[in-house]
Amino acid sequence: MKQFAFFPGCLIPARHPAMEYAIRETLPKLGIEIVDLEGASCCPDPIYFKSKDKVAWLTVAARNLTLAEDLGLDIFTNCSGCTATLSETYHLLHDDGDLRDQVNERLERIGREYRGTSRVRHIATLVRDEVGYDAVRESVVRPLEGLKVAIHYGCHLLKPSRIMNVDNPDNPEVMERLVEALGASPVRHRNWYLCCGKACQDEDIPNQMMHDLLSTVNDEQADLLGMICPTCFGQFDHGQMKVSKLFDEDFHTPPIYYFQLLAFAQGVPLDRLGFERQRFKPECLRRFESTDASVELGSVATSGTGA
Amino acid sequence: MASKADKNDVVRVDFAFKRELAEKVEGDLANYCYQCGACVGDCPASTYSEGAFNPREIMLMVLYGLGDELIREDSILWDCTNCYNCHERCPQQVKPVEVIISMKNMLADRGFAPTAAERVIQTFLASGRTVPPSPAIDKQRAKFGLSPLPQVPMDEIAKILEPAAEEGGAT
Repeated sequence: MKQFAFFPGCLIPARHPAMEYAIRETLPKLGIEIVDLEGASCCPDPIYFKSKDKVAWLTVAARNLTLAEDLGLDIFTNCSGCTATLSETYHLLHDDGDLRDQVNERLERIGREYRGTSRVRHIATLVRDEVGYDAVRESVVRPLEGLKVAIHYGCHLLKPSRIMNVDNPDNPEVMERLVEALGASPVRHRNWYLCCGKACQDEDIPNQMMHDLLSTVNDEQADLLGMICPTCFGQFDHGQMKVSKLFDEDFHTPPIYYFQLLAFAQGVPLDRLGFERQRFKPECLRRFESTDASVELGSVATSGTGA
Repeated sequence: MASKADKNDVVRVDFAFKRELAEKVEGDLANYCYQCGACVGDCPASTYSEGAFNPREIMLMVLYGLGDELIREDSILWDCTNCYNCHERCPQQVKPVEVIISMKNMLADRGFAPTAAERVIQTFLASGRTVPPSPAIDKQRAKFGLSPLPQVPMDEIAKILEPAAEEGGAT
């Protein structure tokens, strides 16, 4: 098993524990050993905390990175926001020696030094580069044939591409390939490129953006919205209901975090994946539960947890 | 574009604003802007505000030193969606979004951060997280066999948040 330090951030463990469960359930089946980071804080968040004080933001982020450096491991994130903060810190402190000195002067107060020896990997690229699409396909016991998944990349997974180094931001494929590996059909809708708008403080702008994005998702008649960012997820779950009311239109495509979909395809029973807390529940997955293989594996997983 | 001019139509450059911005991380990058407008076409905040938010014009205001237009309560800078399209498109590596965030740092220094930002920052200062831990969350986590949220060592965080003397801190 390849070891990687896990940086879960705030949103997933504290608001969407079902997503964390899915990650811990799926990665070991793909040969990845999760090593927990002791003493990690918020990344800190690249929108609000960064807008308060960039130097403090870099310093707290650098402290988090030193925790992985101590273990001699690369760090992986499950949230596009955490990836943005940690990747940007890695790059800025690599390129700007003065800034690195400034950050290290502060870290010295707690006996730490940022060295830049741990790379930052987003969980999607970790699976792509360390596991591979074929191994994901082989782990699937419930191929999701005929399931149409509209991909929402969000912004921070891809941009700025010089820093994130994930994929071509104008024509990415990592999420499409990961969805295909589950047997499902990825759908790229016309407004796939739009941002979820969460950071904008003028409510009207994100509402309009969400409306236009959800309209083109509806045009494609997708079964699910495939998400990789927990912030975008919130926008499309609660936010989708809000936008429906505001524009008096029927938007109802359930969003699903990719690793929950992967867990389901790997045989975890639908009812154990925590979808009851979502506004829009992926009931369309129910039809894949009838295969024999899944029933067998489901019972194994249940007894495993009880033991 | 709105510009700050006196009654003789003379624009007053606010050099103190430009100097303060240049001190912020990547705050001086607007100097490389040649006003090509590549940042505007893919800017969702610009598209959906019918141009009221315009990253090229914001960079121009920075170049002109029109600090009063940007560093004020309810600044238009908070309409940025942080999508990074401008960063991606800029041929000069101006990173307009980073210049905007540096100006947000100036706004925060003056107590002009919006409530949403202030709330998140306060939560972080209290718990080291942006979503506060709670017994309800730990109960939910237990349902998935996940351990309670670990404590963040706040003594360490507090020590590194303090600016050094040469940064203007009290140390």
